[in-house]
Amino acid sequence: MQKTSLYLLSGLLLLLVLLMLNISLGSVTIPLKDILASFFNAEVEKETWRYIILDYRLPKAITAVLVGSGLALSGLLMQTLFRNPLAGPYVLGLSSGASLGVAIVILGGAVFGGVFSTLFLSKFTLVIAASLGSVLVLLAVLATSFRVKDTMALLIIGLMFASLTSAVVSVLSYFSPSESLQKYIFWSFGSLGNLAWQEVFILAIFWLAGVIISIFCIKNLNALLLGEKYAKSLGTNLKQNRILVILATGLLAGSITAFAGPIAFIGLAVPHLVRQVITKSNHLVLFPAVALGGAILMLICDSIAQLPGSNLTLPINAITSLIGAPVVIWLLVRKKKLYF
Amino acid sequence: MKKIGFLFALILLFNCKEQPKNTSSKTSTHAKAETVEISYAEGFSITNFEDFKIVKVNSPWPKAEKEFTYVLAKKNVTLPDTLQFDQKVTIPIKKIVVTSTTHIPSLESLGQENTLIGFPHLDYISSEKTRALINNGKVEEIGENEHINTEVLLNLNPDVVIGFAVEGGNKTFETVNKSGIPVVYNGDWTETDPLGKAEWIKFFGAFYNQEQKAEEIFNEIEEEYLSAKKLAQQAENQPSVLAGSMYKDVWYLPYGNSWQAQFIKDAKANYLYAETTGNGSISTAFESVLDKAQNADFWIAPGSFTSYEQMQNASEHYQEFNAFQQQKIYSFAGVKGETGGVLYYELAPQRPDLVLKDLIKIFHPELLTNYETTFFKALE
Repeated sequence: MQKTSLYLLSGLLLLLVLLMLNISLGSVTIPLKDILASFFNAEVEKETWRYIILDYRLPKAITAVLVGSGLALSGLLMQTLFRNPLAGPYVLGLSSGASLGVAIVILGGAVFGGVFSTLFLSKFTLVIAASLGSVLVLLAVLATSFRVKDTMALLIIGLMFASLTSAVVSVLSYFSPSESLQKYIFWSFGSLGNLAWQEVFILAIFWLAGVIISIFCIKNLNALLLGEKYAKSLGTNLKQNRILVILATGLLAGSITAFAGPIAFIGLAVPHLVRQVITKSNHLVLFPAVALGGAILMLICDSIAQLPGSNLTLPINAITSLIGAPVVIWLLVRKKKLYF
Repeated sequence: MKKIGFLFALILLFNCKEQPKNTSSKTSTHAKAETVEISYAEGFSITNFEDFKIVKVNSPWPKAEKEFTYVLAKKNVTLPDTLQFDQKVTIPIKKIVVTSTTHIPSLESLGQENTLIGFPHLDYISSEKTRALINNGKVEEIGENEHINTEVLLNLNPDVVIGFAVEGGNKTFETVNKSGIPVVYNGDWTETDPLGKAEWIKFFGAFYNQEQKAEEIFNEIEEEYLSAKKLAQQAENQPSVLAGSMYKDVWYLPYGNSWQAQFIKDAKANYLYAETTGNGSISTAFESVLDKAQNADFWIAPGSFTSYEQMQNASEHYQEFNAFQQQKIYSFAGVKGETGGVLYYELAPQRPDLVLKDLIKIFHPELLTNYETTFFKALE
């Protein structure tokens, strides 16, 4: 247990260091003295810099922490619920639902015209559309989860919902002009920037709600690791647990997708990465470790995506996979064993 | 199928390599060969012979590897056996299909809009003259540019299809070519000089035997443009200009060597990204734009925004710019046709004089006191 707390403590330290590093790096080179000055309301050489630090980089860094930890946690929840190492936050079709909502707003405006094109006025349009899409899919999955006994069947149903929605999206994209299509594709690349403080705050509330619900599931999740029958014999209410886990994942992954777009890979990979380091399967330990791991990986990826010193930025989705995939492969090959 | 296409392309490639030899021999036998004067456009040339014309398009899309040679001849004219070409078009044109809104103003100026029988995505067309034809059912919808409805197009059986392509190998156009309807690529959009784009009216003139008229129209536009440019030089100050807008946190703006940047320069203003060169648009991080252009005097063409409220809703960061606070943002996105097509996209390439005057009016209002802008309007 002591070794584990050491890991967690150093993880927390690393997170703080990376947070500072993430804020210091960007296209515009800002001296450390001015970065600190912006925080302490002191004289900054250029007022623009204070704005860049406090209103652009800081919300982006906090978004990265929320997104990384939230997705990693929901990945862990799904992997344990389905007892399947291939599961991730999006297996229930949440991101496909969000994509459909966004596609209807962006592409539907061009295809159907009229009301849709005027919807664009509000800044929360895309967020609301994505949330509605996720919630609808989530409700559909929940409804089926009452009827279906087998958890694996639920997994398949989630995949089917994903196929259905992506089919509708392809039909819409086929008829859309290139300009709208580009907008949609850019949304699907995911992005951590461009969130105002208000939006970060809303995201944080959803994140908190999701985390609190999942904390209630920890004991049941540990029981589930031994198999559904065993968990049942321990007195776990399987159905209730299933619904709580789905709800937590929906809140976490749904709100993240709504604000930042479908961020790939983190949710699937981070639980595996963490299990390679901390070989315990107790969720009481895994839980904070996975959240920390997700936040750390996301901060690293975002710092790289900003390509410090250059005027270019890369889509965050490309970076998460480019950095994450080789690390997972390397760890699996080195340890020769999948801890799950 | 792909192999055949490749073979086809290869044959075309060799044909075009042999081309110069043939034309030169042609030129020597035909005493009356004359080249039409093209002063600004770099993408095409026209050579008139006794009973036919040769139109060459050398940049149908950026980095095109081959030049396209089109022969324009009257019906029943026998062409010399040695003449090599990609497509033969019978002129004058009675029925035409064009594929870009930028082709519409040329047809109208030449008084030939009645020959238009098909167009992809009719709603994009804004011009009142052509819209009236569309409303009377004279112009057929043929789908979207990337997915043209081949059956409808073949059924229309036009004398020529003026196509445009962002890269080679458009399957639809190949099918149409095979059916005997010539497809001629128009590369007006690859020109970077404002007058170069406008000069493509001469290209359309050749198809209608209206070279004279095309030349007159172009000369008038050229004169207007050059005198406006001269007028702009009288301005005493040179304001700084920002362009483009963000999507998420990435800013998209035109390169310094682009068509748009040329206008800003000719209107005697300082485009802050004038030093950049490239194709397409620059994508750069929000913070570097803020650092560089926060104090820019003017901001033109901020994407599809038409009001300050819309911009603020899209991103709070926009408020940090001086041009936003001072309400010095001008956009062409608000001037639309009956069916929502943006007029600028359609007419601006053909009327660079109007674009330039718009910008002069914005940057140096004292120079054009009684002028009403055509495309650029202040944001609401």
